[in-house]
Order: sequence, then structure tokens, then C-alpha cells
Amino acid sequence: MVQKIDARADRTVLKGASLMGPQSGPPTAVDSGKDGKITRIRPFYYDKDFEWEDLNPWKIEAKGSTFEPPNHTLPGTYFLSYKKRVYSENRVRYPLKRVDWDPKGERNTQNRGKSKYKRISWEEASRLIADELLRVKAKYGMSAVLAEADMHGEGKHIAPCHGCMNKLLSMLGGYTVQMRNMDSWEGYSWGAKNVWGGEPVGQMQPSGNIWPDIAKNAEQLLLWGADPETTPVGFDGYMASRLSQWIHNLGHKYVYVDPALNWSGAYLADKWIPVMPNTDAALLLAIIYVWLEEGLWDSEYVETHAVGYEAFFEYVRGNAEDGTPKTPRWASEKCGVPPWTIKALARQWHGKVTSFTIGNGGPGIRGPFATEPARLQAIAMGMQGLGKPGRHHAKWLEWNIHSPIYPMPHQGSEHFEIPHRCEILRPVGSDVDLYTGNMPKVAYENEELMDVLRPHPNKTLQAIPKCLLHDAILDGKTDWWGLHSFVGPAEEQWVHYEYPNKGCSNIHMIWTDSPCMVTCWNDGFRIAKAFRDPSIECIVAQQPWLENDCLLADIILPVQTKFELEDICEDTNGGIVCSVYHEYPACPPVGESLDDFDCVAEVARALGPEYYNEYTKGEKDRSRIIELFYEGSVAHLDTNDDFHNKGIYPIPCNPDKQDFKKYPPGLSPFWRDPENNPLSTPTGKLEFTSSKIAELFPGDRERPPYPQWVEKSDLHDERAHGARAKDYPLLCVSNHGRWRFHANLDDITWHREVDTMKMRGADGYQYEAAWINPRTAASRAIAHGDLIKIYNERGTVLCAAYLTERLAEGIVYVDHGARYDPIDPETLDRGGAINLITPAAITSKNVTGMVVSGFLVEAAKVADTEYEGWKKQYPDAFARKVDEGCGLCLAGWSEA
Amino acid sequence: MSKAFIVDVAKCNGCYSCQMACKDEHAGNDWRPIAAAQPDIGQFWFKLKDETVGTVPRVRVNYTPTLCNHCERPACKDACRSEAIYAREDGLVIIDPEKCKGCGSCARACVYEAIYFNEALKISQKCTGCAHLLDNGYDLPRCVEMCPTGCLAFGEEKTLESDILGASRLKADEGFKPRVWYRNLPGQFIGGTVYDPETEDVVIGARVRAVTGGKHIETTTDEYGDFWLKDLAVGKYDVFIEPKGYNQKAFYGLWTKTCINLGDIPVGKFLGDAG
Repeated sequence: MVQKIDARADRTVLKGASLMGPQSGPPTAVDSGKDGKITRIRPFYYDKDFEWEDLNPWKIEAKGSTFEPPNHTLPGTYFLSYKKRVYSENRVRYPLKRVDWDPKGERNTQNRGKSKYKRISWEEASRLIADELLRVKAKYGMSAVLAEADMHGEGKHIAPCHGCMNKLLSMLGGYTVQMRNMDSWEGYSWGAKNVWGGEPVGQMQPSGNIWPDIAKNAEQLLLWGADPETTPVGFDGYMASRLSQWIHNLGHKYVYVDPALNWSGAYLADKWIPVMPNTDAALLLAIIYVWLEEGLWDSEYVETHAVGYEAFFEYVRGNAEDGTPKTPRWASEKCGVPPWTIKALARQWHGKVTSFTIGNGGPGIRGPFATEPARLQAIAMGMQGLGKPGRHHAKWLEWNIHSPIYPMPHQGSEHFEIPHRCEILRPVGSDVDLYTGNMPKVAYENEELMDVLRPHPNKTLQAIPKCLLHDAILDGKTDWWGLHSFVGPAEEQWVHYEYPNKGCSNIHMIWTDSPCMVTCWNDGFRIAKAFRDPSIECIVAQQPWLENDCLLADIILPVQTKFELEDICEDTNGGIVCSVYHEYPACPPVGESLDDFDCVAEVARALGPEYYNEYTKGEKDRSRIIELFYEGSVAHLDTNDDFHNKGIYPIPCNPDKQDFKKYPPGLSPFWRDPENNPLSTPTGKLEFTSSKIAELFPGDRERPPYPQWVEKSDLHDERAHGARAKDYPLLCVSNHGRWRFHANLDDITWHREVDTMKMRGADGYQYEAAWINPRTAASRAIAHGDLIKIYNERGTVLCAAYLTERLAEGIVYVDHGARYDPIDPETLDRGGAINLITPAAITSKNVTGMVVSGFLVEAAKVADTEYEGWKKQYPDAFARKVDEGCGLCLAGWSEA
Repeated sequence: MSKAFIVDVAKCNGCYSCQMACKDEHAGNDWRPIAAAQPDIGQFWFKLKDETVGTVPRVRVNYTPTLCNHCERPACKDACRSEAIYAREDGLVIIDPEKCKGCGSCARACVYEAIYFNEALKISQKCTGCAHLLDNGYDLPRCVEMCPTGCLAFGEEKTLESDILGASRLKADEGFKPRVWYRNLPGQFIGGTVYDPETEDVVIGARVRAVTGGKHIETTTDEYGDFWLKDLAVGKYDVFIEPKGYNQKAFYGLWTKTCINLGDIPVGKFLGDAG
């Protein structure tokens, strides 16, 4: 008789599976055992506690087929391995101080990224930070403190992963806010916004009901740098994958325009058109040339819906100043697509009802001059009757933001959002708080809730755009256009700003809860240089894991992951059923970690009771805050009190919202009647020539009044045929990670066993896989699995060569977000953090964006002699303990 | 009475949820007597294999999800010297972690390379079909539960009959009667794009024929000038490009041991016999 085992959970709690950050995502069911350890992570089944039909599940009917959501959530692969993140060897388990940072003596800023850390008590850590804050305030004023607090990470509301320290800094008198550039949307925000409005981020808006319309009416989808198998997964899980599978099964043709056969293309491509990185503008111009030559465009629509098209068409035809017709042959030399394929694509785009789909735009809108391809997308769609049935510019993710009616029919009865107990990205001198913007009216009438959420009356003092932080620190000053807020109206682009702001100090202290600049932003090695600058006297990082910028910090506070927390969360993006649910801890806290809110509270405590009491609002009970957030979001809808009784309130779908008559898809009202449904552009029409750019920057060669091919400029020479290509002949493309979510998840041992992510070198180290075509590799005598260096003037990043036919020749492809593992902090990295060598310069002179893909490098096999030379030159770096499974780890950076 | 797995590779999106869910269930979790804990790295009781075929830009990625086949005649069981391997009533084949002496004979006998050695415990280990869950009221092994696309299915052989019909098994001819059934396993392809170099246009609707041993396989080029001769058996093929109004083009003796991209193929206008 076999003994009976009990594989069931001792306890099961709900946890949001999303790293979107401000939003907490679809629930998963997390089991843990009697020992308090997490056992497993599974989907949440709606029909366990609810009648599925009572939730009014949506469906889409098209071409004789019906698409319905499953009765359970579809967590992304990443979340099945998330317990590895909770228990990672890379966890910061207790407060740390850099061994040779002495605030009363030598600060040794030159040793950031080199020297190790030692464990200190919470009392010592919070006292050190409090003392530094008071010292810096007295010496320079509070504008000398930079708060880096924004964006992605674990979705947490009671103790958000970003912005908790802002409140304390406000109480001390204010701070310098690090304003996020439009990183997800650079080209759209700075370019396409000037064609079609599309506020707040410049993508096509409104986008309500476009996916059902595409299913019903489109015949062909362009997946232009779009990968539904990668980009949406960390946000929402696999609903986008299922949608892509269903629409493909309907018979829609899927054409992928991408330097790589991406993960979705590997699954569903009918046609892959490899394009050289950041040459999309040339390809789009040639397509428009073919349309003009062959009369394959909607001239009636353009005449009634667009302005400024004549000048643009003359440019395409070759009748402008440059005198070059943008023929398929002309484009082919730049973008690598044969002329016959360009023509076929142009004809099919016109001949078949086609939607242009993106995964936020990808590297195609995050290269040098990113405004141009983004504007050309909007214009191209305009020439084919944008807004007509099946003709949309559609996104495979973020179906819950920016559009009052969702693009997918998964909405509950109203738009809602759980607030955050923090201040985040407050524009200078303003109270606007991005993440309480979607609360229902009832929330604003709740005085107790407002008391918790109200920003401190002290305003932020000055701002530094994230993509200019290097300049701000190393040059002591910088200036830029726009970015008053992170998402805003086009008018913000026309305002000029300076750092330091009038009456403000340069920054001398940094407090970061988003320590990923080196691996996610532009020219990471220069960021490292800036962080090591003696003018930066103290760097505080708070983070669950010892990664990236943490290695440049002086004090590190250990933060709990959301699995250790109680919270209230919302799912508005999973695509199945919207819900609000109560999260309970899945396990006890790891080490001495505290949640983000309490990390800051400890510093407030060290500053004195008046700070502590004001910051914590008299230590208001957690369950009371959860209750307040519930009252301020969906309590008025939850008539059965499911939230309290069952721990989750799924909000029944609203079939009414799918009624195309009441809620017409996308821009179809503009198509039907542009005069009465104008766009938000100055003319209300599609501006092929931007009236604002023509007025304000008529001589801008990088973002001219109408979009153009920009070969190079004073800021950027990143073309495969340019002068710099003699030394650095390969174009580097860097996507959102397939195995990471930005800087997150690089330490998951189970992911690191997949060789498209990491490959173990002869020295046992797991190097980041750099994709390279076998013929490109052969010309450099690089073999599969070889240790290679990828380099340019800015430094060297070590990777392993992953030879694949999924990438066109002349390119090297490295996902961004691998952890910085410095051999030399400013020149040589072992971790594969490719952003370390991305260009320093912004998108273009008047466009304050970052350039993180489509830049020149060279790749070469690392010779044994060179490797041995590094080992001799940097013995400490090579002596650090590296974990066999997770790589870089706490033990390698802390003193025993 | 026996359980079976269905793997429809046409539905595999390559997400690796199967492989990760298996790790989540078994790495570090001890489910004795069904299975001892799997080491954190190095073992893949469920392994997603991928193979990239063709060359730029005619490339396909073939995913093959693999696991223990829970054979009706398990070679591992016969090879085991300590009677540690048994088949349950539901057909799942289990290595008893208490009885296993770690001789490794089972791993050598398994043609599917599905058995791993646990260095710390000195035992052999493999997929259990999550028998410990099935015995506790769960319907599905974790890999199948987590598959987001419907590529994987699991259940009684009888209820899966319609899926099994026309499905194939890996190494079926070796006589072990495996119980993992694959649907839509792809064959080889020969592909290319036909274009007119003079006008620089693709040629649409061109007839393309592949001939092997007197057998003809035929297709036409699509709107992008592309043709894909798909699901070919490994063999020698002569391929004829026969666009109307153009000269014909032939490729002889193409050996489909690998998938073949014939590239962008220029065809000249047919100018009559004199031309």
C-alpha cells in the first residue's frame, strides 16, 4: 500500500501577476505549505467561487468563429517561476553599507561598482540616511537631493515599489524629481503626436473596440516590430497570444517587419520581412512612393482628412530640396529589403484591408531620429483610410490605459484604478499625481482617503529628465524641451527647461527605488561614471534585489517582494474579467526586509517623531488603508460584498461597451465626419506637415516639419554605411527581454537554463546570449557559444554568441535588462547589460528621448590571452562569488 | 484506463510555460513517494525543444515539447535492477525514489532521454505526470494546466481518441508504445521568392513543382512572390519554377535533409523560342 501524500496547499492566497508597476495585474493563486514556503503558483479560476455566466463573459464573433476568454487567468511564464525571485540568492536580506563609504571621512566614490558591502542594522542605516539628508539640506538645500522613483516593477498599492520616499522628501522641503522620458513611446510621443494627436502618448487614440473590428474586417496584419509573445506577457499574461492565434486562424495574413524573426513570428508568421535596425523610415517612404506612383492610396480620404500632404508627397517623389525620389531601390540599399518585396508589401497593404500593429513600437521607435518612422506610420495609415473598418493602428498590450473604451471587450462596468500610497512623478510646482487620476468621483469625496493620498503641499523643486541625468551630473547643467510631465499634451513639447532650476542647487545625493539606469537607459557606462562622480556624496538604493545601480550605491535598504505583503490589487489589464482582490502574504518576509513604505518610515523615525507621525499618518492600520482603497474604487459597485466575502470582486463585463453603434471602433467617427470629430492636432486633421513644427522649428533637420529620412546629424552617426561603421560595422538591436521584464527577472535560475537567454561559458559563467547570424559570425570566426565582446567607443559588454537564422546579417541582437556585472565599472561588463554602450545623445536636438537600439557596435571573439589579461588586471572582479544558478549574487558583493 | 498526453505542435507558441510549471511543481518540492525533489537546475522533466530551420528570410522554428512518454512497455522498467520502476493503474510510469539505487540503467535504456540523475540523492528521476496532484483531486499535470494556447492536453486515452486519430508518436517503431501523441509535426520545406529582375516585381501565381521519385507536389507563388513546398519527407527533389510568360527555372537534386531556402529567384521574360 502506497502511503498517501498531501500535495494540496496548506494555504492559498491571491497575488497579482504583472510587473507593470502602477497596475497590479491579473490574479494568480499562490500555494504555500506548513513550513511557510511557497509551493507553487497557479492561475486563478473564476468559476471556483462564482458562476461564470454571472460575470457576463465577453465574446467576439467574426468570420464564423467565436473568441471567448477562458474561465481562468493566463499568467505569463515569468510568474510561474516567481518564487525563484522571492528566494533569490540575489535578494538583499538586510541593510547594507558600502565598506569604504564613510560619511564622516573618505567617501571613496571612485570605488562605487567595485567595493563590497557589509551588513548593518536598520537603526544604523536609517540614522545614516537621516543624517545625510539633514546635512545635504543644510549645506545645499533640498534641491540637492534627487529622487529616482518611477515606473515598472511589482504592482503594489499600500507600499508601492516607486515613490514612497518622495513624500518624506517633500516634508523636508522638496526635492529634484527625475522625470521619466517617453521611453515606451519616444517616436510616437515626439513625432506621431504631431500627426494625429493621440494624447497622452502619441499612439492612435481613441482605440476603443478596435480588436473586434480588426477580427471582423481586416484581412492582413502588419506586425511591425511587434511581438505579442513577449511584450505583453510581463504586463498581462497570454491573452494577447490567444488573440493573435485566433485572428490568425480566421485567415488574416500576418506580415512581420522586424530585424529578427521574433517570438510571435516564429509561431505565426506568414511572411517575415527582415529590415535593418532603425531604417523603417526608408522602408515606409518607399512604400508611400509606390502608392503615389501607382495610385494605390485613398486620395479622397486624404483630401478631406489631412493637411500639408502636398509638400510631403513632393519630397517623396524627389521634388524637394534633396532631389531624391524615395524609390524602392533607394530604400533597399538602406533597409536591406529587396525592391520587389517593398513593392509587393506596398501593393498588399493597399489591396488587403490592413491594420498596423505594434507592441508599443519596440526598438523601431527608440532609435536615433525615432520621430520619423513613427510619424510615417501615422501618415501611411492615413493614406489608406485610417478609421475605416479594419484599418487601425493597434497595440497588443496596455488595453486598459489611454482609451476610455478598451480596445478589447474585457471592461467591467467602469474604468477604475486602485490608488497608490505614495507620490510619484510630480511635475515641478504641480500636484498632478498620475496614479490617482482614474479614481471614481466617490473617492474624491472620501476625506479620510484623500488625507492618505493628498500630496504634500511642498512642491518639487526642479526636474532632470532621466535620459539627461549623465549630463546633469557630469556637466553640472543641461537643458531640454518638454517633459513637464511623463504623459501629457503635445503643447508640453514646445516648452524649454533648464537644470539647475532658478535658485536650485546641483544634486549631491540620490535616493533611488528604481535602480536600473545602467541596464535600461542610454549610455549606461556614462551613468556609472556619473554615479561615481565625487559630487554625488551619497547614494541610497531601496530594492528587493542587489542589482544594477544598487552596485553603485552607498546604502541599500532591503525591500519585501509583493509575495510577502498584504495589499489590495486590481486587474484591469488581464483581458478576461476585471477584478479587485485582497492579497495576503504568501510567505514570511525574507531576512530583515521591510516593504517600501516602511523602509522610508524607518528613515522618518530617525528624523524624529514629527516626521514619522506625519509620514505614517499616525501608523494608520494597514487593513484600514485597504478598506479605504476599496471604498475609493469599487465598493459602490460590489453589491454582494464579494471583496470581503470571497477575497475578490470580479466586475461583470459590460456587453453594452461592445456595441459598435454606441462605441464606434477607433477613429471611425473621424473617418465618417472629420469636421465634427476632429483630432487633437492644431488643425484637427492628420498633419502630414506639422503646423507646430513648421512654426516653431522650421529649420530642424532631424525632425523637419514633414517626416524625412535622416541619414545622420551632429548628434548621431549610427548608419551601417556611415563613417563610424568602418570601426563598428554591426547594427545592434535591443528588444524588451524575452526572459526578463526590463531589468527584472535576470536572476531566475530556470530561465537562465534556456540558451536563448544565457549560455554557460567555458569559465562556468552564464553569459547573456547575443544573437548573430551564422554568416555574420563566420566572417569574424565566431562559433556558437563563443565568448564574445560587443563594443564601441563607449565600452565593452561580454556575451555568448547565439548563432541563429532568426536574425538578418549585419546585426547583433541583445535583449536589454541583463544585470550589470562590472569588471571595470565604466568600461567593461560581464553581465551582458547592453544599454551600457547605447548612445549618450538624445533622440534629436529638440526631442528629449533616449536612444537604446539601432546603434553601431563591433563583435569579436574574446581571445584567451585577452581574457587572462582581464583576470590579471581585475582580480577582485573575477574573484567575486558567482552563483551557479542565478549568477551575480549577494554573497559575491557582501563581506562575510 | 490509461492516461495519454496530446501535443499539437501547430498550437505551440514557444512560451516555455510547460517547462517552467514543471520546475515550479518539482524543483525543491518533495512529493515522495511519487518523486523526490528535483534539483534546482540541470533537470528537465518537461523540456521544450526548439529547432530553427531554413535561412533568412525563409525561416521556421519547430517547437517540440518533450517529456517522459509513459510507455506501455517502458524500457526503463525492464532495465531497472532494483524493481524501482512501476506503472500505475492509470498508466503513469513512476521511479520510486525510495527503491531506486541510482544505477542509471533506466536512463541508458530510455530512447527519449527523459531520465535524469540526481547527484545529491544518487537516484534517477523523471516526469511523474504529476501523479501526486492527480491523486489529490487535480485534473491535470502542471505542464498541461499552464499551457496557454491549447497545445497540450491530458486525459484518458479513450476520451482523447479523436485527437489521437492521425497523431504520431516519437520513435514509435521501437516498440515501447509511448503515450505522448504529437499532432502536426512539420516535415521539411523548400521555399523561395520568384521575381522579375527587369521590372523588380515579384511574380505572383507562378506554378512551382517539386518532383521526387515520380511524385509531384505543386504550389503557386503568393502575393509576395513566395512559395512554400511544405511538409516534405526527407529525400531528393527536383524543383521547377514555371511562371507564365517567363523562362522556366529548375533546381535539381535538392536534398531535404535540412529545410531549403532557394532565396530570391530571378526569372527572365519569355521572349519566344528565338529569345
